[in-house]
Amino acid sequence: MINFIQFTLTRAFLAIVTLLIVCFIVFSLMELVPGTCAERYLAFKNTQGSQITYEEIVAEKKKLGLDKPFLYRYGKWVSDIVVRQDFGDSCILRISINELLSGRFVLSLTIAITALIFSYLIAIPVGIISASTKYVSLDQTLKFISYLGIALPNFLVALCIMLFMTVYFGDTMTGLFSQEYENVPWSMARVRDFLSRAWLPIFVLGWNATAFALQTVRALMLDENDKLYVMAARARGISGMSLLWRYPAKHSLGPVINSIGFDLNRIFSALPIVALILILTEAGALLIEALARSNDQQLAGAIIFLLTATIVFVNFVTDIILAIMDPRIRKGVMGGN
Amino acid sequence: MSHLLEINNLDVKFDTDEGRITAIENVSLTLDQGKVLGIVGESGSGKSVTAKSIMQLNPGNTIYNENAEIIIDDENVIKFTSKNDLKKIRGGKVSMIFQEPMASFAPAIKIGHQMVEQLMLHKTMGKGEAKNISIDMLIRVGIADAEKRFNQYAFELSGGMRQRAMIAMALSTMPKLLLADEPTTALDVTIQAQVINLMKDIIKEFNMGVIFITHDLGVIAQVADDVAVMYLGSVVERGPVNDILKNPKHPYTRGLLNALPDINNLDAPLKPIPGNIPSPLDRPTGCVFRTRCPDPTHECKEGSIEMGLIEVSPGHWVDQCCVNCG
Repeated sequence: MINFIQFTLTRAFLAIVTLLIVCFIVFSLMELVPGTCAERYLAFKNTQGSQITYEEIVAEKKKLGLDKPFLYRYGKWVSDIVVRQDFGDSCILRISINELLSGRFVLSLTIAITALIFSYLIAIPVGIISASTKYVSLDQTLKFISYLGIALPNFLVALCIMLFMTVYFGDTMTGLFSQEYENVPWSMARVRDFLSRAWLPIFVLGWNATAFALQTVRALMLDENDKLYVMAARARGISGMSLLWRYPAKHSLGPVINSIGFDLNRIFSALPIVALILILTEAGALLIEALARSNDQQLAGAIIFLLTATIVFVNFVTDIILAIMDPRIRKGVMGGN
Repeated sequence: MSHLLEINNLDVKFDTDEGRITAIENVSLTLDQGKVLGIVGESGSGKSVTAKSIMQLNPGNTIYNENAEIIIDDENVIKFTSKNDLKKIRGGKVSMIFQEPMASFAPAIKIGHQMVEQLMLHKTMGKGEAKNISIDMLIRVGIADAEKRFNQYAFELSGGMRQRAMIAMALSTMPKLLLADEPTTALDVTIQAQVINLMKDIIKEFNMGVIFITHDLGVIAQVADDVAVMYLGSVVERGPVNDILKNPKHPYTRGLLNALPDINNLDAPLKPIPGNIPSPLDRPTGCVFRTRCPDPTHECKEGSIEMGLIEVSPGHWVDQCCVNCG
């Protein structure tokens, strides 16, 4: 037990270190972009018609703390996040990032995690069946559908469905809410409205993720099915479902659990483009906006920090789950019994 | 008296992308209760396929011939298709142990759980009773700390101990027939000797029939009562172990015996059997051994003579093509 606590603490420590390193890289990359936050904000104001002097830039820099050294600013940024959960102000919009992101990041996370769960719920049983069925045509059909899922880009699928919905139902299905619910507080009706629209991004993201996961599960199962212990179990008279689930399926799921963090990452990466097409008001779209258009260092940094933190956390949890589930790892970590 | 196991005219073919491969051709064998039949041959000679045919464990692309018979207790088990029938020959009347004890235990299931699962499947008993029988079996095969081992995983045991546990699991349902597919090949020599002695004791104690597959003639000499020599899917010679080892009639058997290193003269060059095993896709017609036969007769060379065993002395059968070869 002590070993297990030690293992958990070590993993947690490593996760935090990983997070800090990723943040540092993100922060440094943002720093490499020419111009500072102050200059960009004032340049933005310039386009609105006001004249900008050099003194104003210096004053603005001082006000934002940009005259301080790089490491100091990094340290302050991180400690503000950790201690006060405060991401600071957006560089361009000049409002609190916490306010800007509140709700939106949760929405992104909900969409991504729902898509992930949806894809695993389908991919695991279907992958196992596809690898174990004696009907070759069933396996071929499932393989064909999953190749379609891998080959078709998300945005194309989204566009096709939008077109279809517009032509046949007169609703483009864009946005996460209907107009009447867009800016009202959460209620049961709003949740229902959300669900009636959120299925589209979840489906678009989930289909692709399902196709990937299905290929993984299928390949792992084919591998396990050929192993001697499966034949040995058959030789002992074990057959049917009790053979399939207890022997090859149970043993092939380790790597699948291991890849949850990776899959979540892929869904997150695909989310902004889908969000852009479906005009979703969630954090992914905001990230693209901040990175590509307004060059909003503070906002982009905050979103990437949240994404990284989520993925690092998921990886930490899957490590622990694997250590509990697989005796080979468990005994390695805990030693003895 | 009827035999414990009777295999008659067994052909096994595999459907592959390259065509239909003949793995076994016209194999007939018998085994009596309490006896050990050794099957010897090189890799690819069809030893394992023969054993797996008894339990129908060959892969999905396997084709058995219509008139093949594998008789156990007056039932032709090769025609079994239902789950309940198959259960009888898989773990019920017949058990099998494999070459690699590590790979034949499921890695993430406790050894004890795998034993209990099998017992509860074949016998009407509760979990507690199954556990007691399993632990008794582990003790019987010489595993110290049986209770502790019961709750461990295969990777926590040493190689010899794993094979002992495998034997314990195979015997726990009291099968009449044990198929041992190279059970000692993956073990080092001292452990090998221990496992062979254990198997000899247990065979006597349980009075069952055993098919012992190996390519090691030394092991055969120690454990077997009868021997069948297989080459390219056919039995080329069979008979009592002493006859075969001391008075081999088939050039292939002689070749196998000559290929053994001579412990008294370690400097003597090794004498391999010349040539290579032909590809199963390119199986010779007539006598399968004629491409490697050191001194084939004229009919052999032509491939015009059919294979078939003839009795040269009581119980000692040799393929008719090769009786007169060098």
